[in-house]
Amino acid sequence: MHVRTGGFPVLIMAVACLPAGTGPGQTLSTRHRNAAMPEIPSKDDTHTTFRYPLRWRIMDALNGGLDRFWPARMSPYTGWALIMPALLLVGVLVLGLFEMADNSLHTLDRATFRLSEAYTLENYQTVMESATYGRVITRSVFAAGLTVFFTLLLALPYAYIMVRTTSSAVRKALLVTLFLPFFIGQVVRAYGLLIILGTTGVANNALGLVGIEPMRLLFNFPAVVFGLVQYMLPFAVLMLAPALTAIPRETETAASSLGANWVQGFRHVVLPMAKPGLIGAGLVVGTLALTDFAMPAMLGGGSQDFIANAIYDQFFRTADQGLGAALALLLVVLGSVIVGIVISIFGAGTLGMGNRK
Amino acid sequence: MTDPIAAKENAPRVARDVAVRASHVSMDFGNGVLAVNDASFELEKGRFLTILGPSGSGKTTLLQMIAGFQKQTAGEITINGKPVDAAPPHRRSIGMVFQKLALFPHMTAAENVAFPLKMRRFNPRQIAGRVDQFLDLVRLGGYGDRRINALSGGQQQRVAIARALVFEPDLLLLDEPLAALDVKLREEMQLEFRRIQHQLGVTTINVTHDQREALVVSDNIIVMDGGRIQQQAEPVELYRAPENPFVAGFLGLSSFVDGSATADGNLKVGDIVVQGTSARDFAAGTRVVAAIRAEQIRLAGTSEALGACDMKLEGRVADTIFEGERQMYVVEIGALSGATFRVYHHDPDSFGLFRVGDPVALGWNRRDLKIFSPAA
Ligand SMILES: Nc1ncnc2c1ncn2[C@@H]1O[C@H](COP(=O)(O)OP(=O)(O)O)[C@@H](O)[C@H]1O
Ligand SMILES: [Mg+2]
Repeated sequence: MHVRTGGFPVLIMAVACLPAGTGPGQTLSTRHRNAAMPEIPSKDDTHTTFRYPLRWRIMDALNGGLDRFWPARMSPYTGWALIMPALLLVGVLVLGLFEMADNSLHTLDRATFRLSEAYTLENYQTVMESATYGRVITRSVFAAGLTVFFTLLLALPYAYIMVRTTSSAVRKALLVTLFLPFFIGQVVRAYGLLIILGTTGVANNALGLVGIEPMRLLFNFPAVVFGLVQYMLPFAVLMLAPALTAIPRETETAASSLGANWVQGFRHVVLPMAKPGLIGAGLVVGTLALTDFAMPAMLGGGSQDFIANAIYDQFFRTADQGLGAALALLLVVLGSVIVGIVISIFGAGTLGMGNRK
Repeated sequence: MTDPIAAKENAPRVARDVAVRASHVSMDFGNGVLAVNDASFELEKGRFLTILGPSGSGKTTLLQMIAGFQKQTAGEITINGKPVDAAPPHRRSIGMVFQKLALFPHMTAAENVAFPLKMRRFNPRQIAGRVDQFLDLVRLGGYGDRRINALSGGQQQRVAIARALVFEPDLLLLDEPLAALDVKLREEMQLEFRRIQHQLGVTTINVTHDQREALVVSDNIIVMDGGRIQQQAEPVELYRAPENPFVAGFLGLSSFVDGSATADGNLKVGDIVVQGTSARDFAAGTRVVAAIRAEQIRLAGTSEALGACDMKLEGRVADTIFEGERQMYVVEIGALSGATFRVYHHDPDSFGLFRVGDPVALGWNRRDLKIFSPAA
């Protein structure tokens, strides 16, 4: 395997560009004289216009340190060294997954509250045969699908306006609005929605003003999807914005000069060119929604459980680790299969990862 | 001074179809200088006009206003007698080739060319034939199924041209589409532009900073600098009779001498009277600048060897620059307070004839040294 070092930290790249032997504090003109380069006529050295920037000196120092720590002859292994932390992290996760897979193959002995010695598929059978778990899984998948649809529907115009607006005030306002929710956190936001959507909340009060009776806006499926969309929107916009920025404005001007009105230009040019961003954002939003815990727990009020809520119950309420592990593995498989299907249809290339499929 | 446009409008109508007319067009971006300053011109139907000027001279801005993508802050632009912005951009009959081409990367070459036909609701049964016809026109027959990024730079150019022309627009606009190509390909595409334009007879406005391109492809050239139109003329006329020092310096290689006008229409530098010619009369003593082209100066070892010339001066070679198909000598004339002249030798036998420091003689004919009032 050859690991590309293209993503080597910018800092080190920049330092590497400096010629060797450039000591801190030297001016360029003295350096030129030291090296085997033609003599450049220079004014007296006490009066130079170019000062060796502090930033470069810091980088030189860092580079010196790095050279001692990681000598040049080690450079063939640089790629491996850089990917090591990530491999370790993934390795730990995979170990945990094996442990869990092992747990899922033992049933809980209700007498001792220990997992049985014998290997069995009983936990999986329980899940498959249970109508409740069937409903929970279908609900999670369906909600994730709806969340992806509505989130992209709302995020696309938001990102488009943010990228294309000529007013920097509008762009800044949109950016700030986008980042604010990140400082608040999912639980607090869900709680905020509880207040807004409650029977005496802002939403019902507003409806009351136009003469509509208060209704139950919470603890049902739409409330959960609403919460999820609201939670996912910033992620989706942040993933779509670079994809839209990559579409030159000139391309849209060209479409218009060729006879496309705005809607046609958007449909035939912007949308197809934004496809990698849309698929990437869809995958992130979909997997986050599929595995979400807080929104169904808080806005569903126990009646709208997702798979993650069921897993929580098994681990922390009934303490049935075997069944919890089986559910968790099913969730992992489900998510992987969905991602796998999407990638095999559109190709990894469409996610902007590499030039080919 | 009479207004050229008004004068033309008041003149009896000649049977002459004007496709594009700009009158007193200005563009003010609000940053202190006018990007386009009081530009007026006319373009006849079926002609190929090039707007030539250095970077930042306002060419793109002028073209964008003709295309209707930007609105001028003063003046009026009409296409076939109608103001450009009478219709929204997608209803106008203007084909445009952009500097970065702006091809659609998610479509094949043929789909790119078919796009305007589909948007403009051409008969679906005719679209395929028409796309093939125009791919053939740009010599891309058989490449229709290729993705855009599977085509070379020159081929992408051709797709962009076919796409801009396939719906038979009234006007074709080109914004430096050749600037990014290497020299060989650029010269090839210049000839292609000319061939295609002659074949279809579409009125064309091309923008470039490349004087060679302007001279090669155009029927008519507008030279711009600092947002102002400096001169509009046919290529040969423009090269032969520049109206001001800027045009003289921008096309071809000219040498300049500062001095004052004499009563008999020559140039005086110090005590020396230099023979020259001027399109207008200057009062004696007026500050003027004279220009002469490198290929119109004769260079020899001695004044006698120059043969018959209106003007002869002696100087020294200050620099020699070999350019392959020609040799350039930079000659310094002490008598003209050190003014330098650049001279071309095109005969390989005379390359390397003189070295830096050699005494030489320069000569030219009176009509070739043009006297202007200094640049504003
Ligand atoms: N949208 C704009 N806003 C402000 N100034 C602009 C804008 N577009 C062009 N300019 C200015 O107008 C001048 C002419 O630009 P441009 O028409 O692009 O020149 P050219 O195409 O000849 O290189 C330049 O000084 C440029 O900075
Ligand atoms: Mg330009």
